[in-house]
Amino acid sequence: MGIIDLKGIYTAYEGGDRPVIKDLSLSVDSGEYVVVGGPNGAGKTTLLESVNGMVSITHGSASVCGYDVRRQGIDVRKKAGYVLQSFYFDPFTPFTVEQVVLMGRYGRLGLLKRPGREDTEAVKKAIRAVGVEDLANKPIGTLSGGQQQKVLIAQNIAREPELLLLDEPFSNLDFSSREFITGILKGMAKNGTTIMMVSHAFDGLPDMRIRILVMNDGRIAYDGACRPGEVADIVRSRTVA
Amino acid sequence: MFLEPLIPNNIVCHAMEAMILASIACAILGVFITRMNLSSIGVTMSHAAFAGAAVGMFLNINSTLAAVAFCVCIAALLGPLSDRSRMSADTTLSVLFAMSMAVAVFFIAYLQYTGKGMAAGNLLFGNVLSLYREDIYLLALICLATVLFIVIFYKEILAIIFNMKIAEASGIRTKPVYYALLFITAVSVALCMNIVGGLLIFVWLVTPAAIAYQFCFNVRNMFIVAPLVALIISATGVWAGFQYTLPISPLVAILFTLVFSFSVIFSLKRRVTSNKS
Repeated sequence: MGIIDLKGIYTAYEGGDRPVIKDLSLSVDSGEYVVVGGPNGAGKTTLLESVNGMVSITHGSASVCGYDVRRQGIDVRKKAGYVLQSFYFDPFTPFTVEQVVLMGRYGRLGLLKRPGREDTEAVKKAIRAVGVEDLANKPIGTLSGGQQQKVLIAQNIAREPELLLLDEPFSNLDFSSREFITGILKGMAKNGTTIMMVSHAFDGLPDMRIRILVMNDGRIAYDGACRPGEVADIVRSRTVA
Repeated sequence: MFLEPLIPNNIVCHAMEAMILASIACAILGVFITRMNLSSIGVTMSHAAFAGAAVGMFLNINSTLAAVAFCVCIAALLGPLSDRSRMSADTTLSVLFAMSMAVAVFFIAYLQYTGKGMAAGNLLFGNVLSLYREDIYLLALICLATVLFIVIFYKEILAIIFNMKIAEASGIRTKPVYYALLFITAVSVALCMNIVGGLLIFVWLVTPAAIAYQFCFNVRNMFIVAPLVALIISATGVWAGFQYTLPISPLVAILFTLVFSFSVIFSLKRRVTSNKS
């Protein structure tokens, strides 16, 4: 059984009148690097949020990181990181970079436990990994969009996840930052972390075997493996406008 | 209670204790309310308490108890309603506010018709001079519960204040903590209504946190500065009210607003923004 094992799932947002994901089956093994492409509204973000249990699965079975997503979504989220699509924090958001990254550890700590030395070390390591150590004590809102994005990625690195879900992680990053983050993701994948990333930018993918999923209207229209340079062409050719 | 050795007059002592406890509880909750942009929660809860107390008076049952029950029902409705109706919490609050106001006005009008208008007036403006020791005990209890809750669930509350969705994605049980905070706010508002009145409680919930926000760059400091500011202003207001025979609750509310105005003028954040521009 893979780290992600979805069988015939349907998902819908609360109050929604029709399913966003329809009869979708997918199996992903540990350490795979999966890129999800497809047109707007195809259900890419919903797929990520179905995997970590943030969107309700109405039919079918889903097992992620060894947990039943429908009943144990909270346990899945403790093991699976999720970098959400672009956020903007106002300049007076009263949290420093270090505090934000530390929050990534709160879920795995559970209720009533305080962060300890191990958590502080993981935070420092994650901040160093994304290259924002000189911003550690600055309020997150005073950072640029790209720097904020790096902090949110660091928050998820600090979680030491088995599975890392990323929704448009490169949207605010310049080319050199993309390459830098790509290097980090590649390193994580080589260490066994499964990466599943929704993206429209395919010029910063790591030089390794990429599995590509193209989604259309809540279903997987294409599922295959390729080299990084081929991803853009495959997504373009398989996307139904 | 705790101020009896310092203030021999029972009425003054109870007024001072009640105002201090109400201010601390509301100011701490206010940090959460203002940072989550839920200021209308204060308005809705205060009117729910108002409606509950009016229903209590109409039914001849304890009005505080009825206010607590009504507020708790509103708090219980608020979360699921905004989740399921796909509306923002603010819109849901406005709907519940209008409903509470309608219930309150209906019963107040009826009570006036039956000659109980004066008692109903106390619900609107509060009466800090007619408190019993039991009222103070209840306030002390909710104040303690608020402080304990914030201390125990501090990291979860921080994460929720930062961003509810990111907190949820991080594996934090956001909903139980969020609903518990709504519940504590509901009970606090209902208990404080006797003291500051249904119309003014909003000031206690929002202004101390707004003052603290002008000078604090992190949430931990806001949780310390807001209740401290509220305590000092409330104690000053009660003292001035008795000293110069002035209505206490409105006086404290005016003092809060004055201090807020000065805090905006001397705000550290305003200076930072001016320096940037």
